[in-house]
Amino acid sequence: MKNIKISSKNVNVHYGAKQALHSVSLNINENEVTSLIGPSGCGKSTFLRCINRMNDLIDICKVDGSITVDNEEIISDEVDVVSLRSKIGMVFQKPNPFPKSIFDNVAYGPTIHGIAESKTDLEEIVHSSLKRAGLLKEVKDRLHEPGTSLSGGQQQRLCIARAIAVNPDIILMDEPCSALDPIATAIIEELIDELKANYTIVIVTHSMQQAARVSQRTGFFHLGELIETGDTQKIFTNPDNEKTQGYITGRFG
Amino acid sequence: MLKNIENDMSNQYSHEKIIQLRKKRSAADRRFKTYGLIATLMGMAILFFLLFTIFSKGYSSFQKSVIELEVSYDQETLKITSDSTYEEQVKAKFFRVKKNAIAKALPDLSKKDIKLINKMFSINVDKEIKEYFLNNPNILNTTQKIFVTAHSDVDQLLKGNARRNIEEKKRKLNDRQLEFFDEFVSSGRLKTKFNNFFFKNADSRHPELAGIAGSFVGSLFTLMTVFLLAFPIGIGASIYLEEFAPKNKFTELIEVNIANLAAVPSIVFGLLGLGILLNVFGFPRSTPLVGGTVLALMTLPTIIIACRASLKAVPPSIKEGALAMGASKMQAVFHHQVPLALPGTLTGTIIGLAQALGETAPLIMIGMIAFIPNIPTGFTEPSAALPVQIYLWVESSERGFQEKTAAAIVMILIFLFLMNALAVFLRSKFERKW
Repeated sequence: MKNIKISSKNVNVHYGAKQALHSVSLNINENEVTSLIGPSGCGKSTFLRCINRMNDLIDICKVDGSITVDNEEIISDEVDVVSLRSKIGMVFQKPNPFPKSIFDNVAYGPTIHGIAESKTDLEEIVHSSLKRAGLLKEVKDRLHEPGTSLSGGQQQRLCIARAIAVNPDIILMDEPCSALDPIATAIIEELIDELKANYTIVIVTHSMQQAARVSQRTGFFHLGELIETGDTQKIFTNPDNEKTQGYITGRFG
Repeated sequence: MLKNIENDMSNQYSHEKIIQLRKKRSAADRRFKTYGLIATLMGMAILFFLLFTIFSKGYSSFQKSVIELEVSYDQETLKITSDSTYEEQVKAKFFRVKKNAIAKALPDLSKKDIKLINKMFSINVDKEIKEYFLNNPNILNTTQKIFVTAHSDVDQLLKGNARRNIEEKKRKLNDRQLEFFDEFVSSGRLKTKFNNFFFKNADSRHPELAGIAGSFVGSLFTLMTVFLLAFPIGIGASIYLEEFAPKNKFTELIEVNIANLAAVPSIVFGLLGLGILLNVFGFPRSTPLVGGTVLALMTLPTIIIACRASLKAVPPSIKEGALAMGASKMQAVFHHQVPLALPGTLTGTIIGLAQALGETAPLIMIGMIAFIPNIPTGFTEPSAALPVQIYLWVESSERGFQEKTAAAIVMILIFLFLMNALAVFLRSKFERKW
C-alpha cells in the first residue's frame, strides 16, 4: 500500500452562483501517476487547480472543504500559497515558456526561491532539470536562445524542466499534450513515466488512451462529481459505475 | 427529410441568385477600396500642402543678411595696448570702432546719412566686432573686413519678404536707405549666410537677433519635468490598478475618472496650475517646473491608459506560469508582465510627451508667455517654451517675426518627429515575441 500524498475531503467549488465541484473526496498516492478524466466542463481541471490554489486567481471562485498535502491542510487563509506552489509544480495545457532564454526559463524558479547558492550551482540545477525533462541533448548548444523558439513539444518539456527545477514533490499537469502532435505526446508520456519515480503526478487528460497508458490510478469526473476512482486497469476494464462504463466505451462525452 | 435537402441543392435558381449577389458584393468591395484610396490621397495631399507652406515660409529664417564693414582696430580708439590683459580687452571701446566703421561704410556720407545707415545695421554689431577681436587679438592696429549682421528691415528686403516699390511712408527703409541698400548689393557687400543667432539666441525684441534656443531649452526642461513626474506615477498607478487593486465600486470610479481626465481641456489644467501651484503653493511663476507639473497632470491619463492597455495585452498564461512557479504576485508582475508591457507603455508615454510639447494654453495660464531674453539653465528659472514662442512671435507686428514663426513651427515639428522616431525605435527594441 502506497502512502497517501494528497487527500481531499468534501471539496466544493463555486464560480459565483454556479457550483463546479460537488463534494469531491479523492486520495492521491505518492510516486504514482493519477489521471483525472471526464467530459469537458466536468470539473477535473478545477479540482487540479485547487491543489496548488491557482483558483485563488479567479475572484469569483470559492473553494471549501479540505485538501491535505502531506497531512497539512492547504485550503486555509493561513497557508502561504507561494511556498505551497514551490512544492507543487504545474504544467499547463498550452506550453507557456517565459519570453526569456531557455536557461532563464529553467533558472527562474531556483532564482526566486533562492535555491541556488552560486552561479555554478544554478547552472548545475538548470542542466540536471533539462536532463530529467529529456530536453538537454536537444538544447544544450543553444541555452541562450529564447524559449519560444522551440517546437511545441520541446516547449512543453521546457515547462516541465522549469517545474522540476525547484524540486517539487508534486507535479500537476493540465492536459499537457492536448496541443501537441502524437510524436511529441509519446515523448512526454514516456517522460511522465520516468518522473513518477521521484514525483507524485496528477494529470488531467481528455484522452482515455493516455490515461490508460501513463497512470496507475484514475478518477472519473462527471458534472462536477467524482463518479468513480480506482486502479486504472480496473476503471478501464471493469468499472463499477454505469456512467464510467458509458464514458470509457464512448457512449457519451 | 434528406430528400428535401437534395431537392433544394438541385435548385439552380438559388445558385444563380448567389452569383448575382456575389457580383454586387465584389463591386461593393471595389467601391470601398476606391473610397479608401481617395481618402488616403486627400489626407496625404493636405499634409504635404501644410508642410510645404510651413517649410517654404520658414526656411528663409535659417539665413540672415550680413553687410561687410571695414573695421579698423585702432589702439587709440579702443584705448588699449598690445600689452592689455583679456579683461581690459573686453572692456575696450568697441562701440567707437563700430561708429567709425559705419561712418565709413560707404564713401561720402553726410551726418544725416550716417544716422540712416546706422539703422540698417543690427544693434548687435559692436558685440560682433568685439568677438572677432577677442578671437584674434593680434589684429590690433589693423583694418579687417568683417561681415556683420544687418537690421531685420534690410534682411526682409533682401529676402524679398518686404516690397520696395510702395510709397516711402509705408516702407521701413526710406529712399536714401534704399540707395545704400542697392550700393551694398551691387558691390557684393550685402549677402545672406547661415543664421547662427536663430539657433543660439533666446527671444529678442529685434527679429534679426531672436532665436529659439531659449524656448527650445525651456521646452526640454519642461518635458523632463513631465517625464520625471508622470512616468513613475503613471506606471505605478497602472500597475496597481491593473494587478493589485480590489475590483470594487471605488476602483471602478477611479477608472472612469481617469478616462474622463484624458478628455479635460488642457486650459483647465492651466487654471489648476495657476490657482493651486502658483497661488497656494507659491511655485515660481513661468518656470519649467510649474509648466512641467501642469503638463504632467495632463499627460498622466494618457500614460495610465496606454500602460494599462499594454499590461492587459500580456498573455495571462505568462502570469499564471510565474505564479505556479511560486513567484509572489509582485515578482510575477515585475519579472514578467512589466517587461512585456514596457514597449507599449513607452510608446504611450512618448505620445503623451509629444502632446505636452505642443500644448500652449496651460503654459499661458501659468505665465510662461512672458518675454524671456535669456536661455534658462534650470528648472526654476523663468523660461519660454516652443509653442508659446510661436504664439508670441505670431502676435508680433514686425515683419521679421513672420518667418521666425514658421521656422519655430518647423523646429517643433522636427522635435515631434524625433520623439516619434524614438518611440518607434524603443518599440522595436523592447518588443519580444511569445
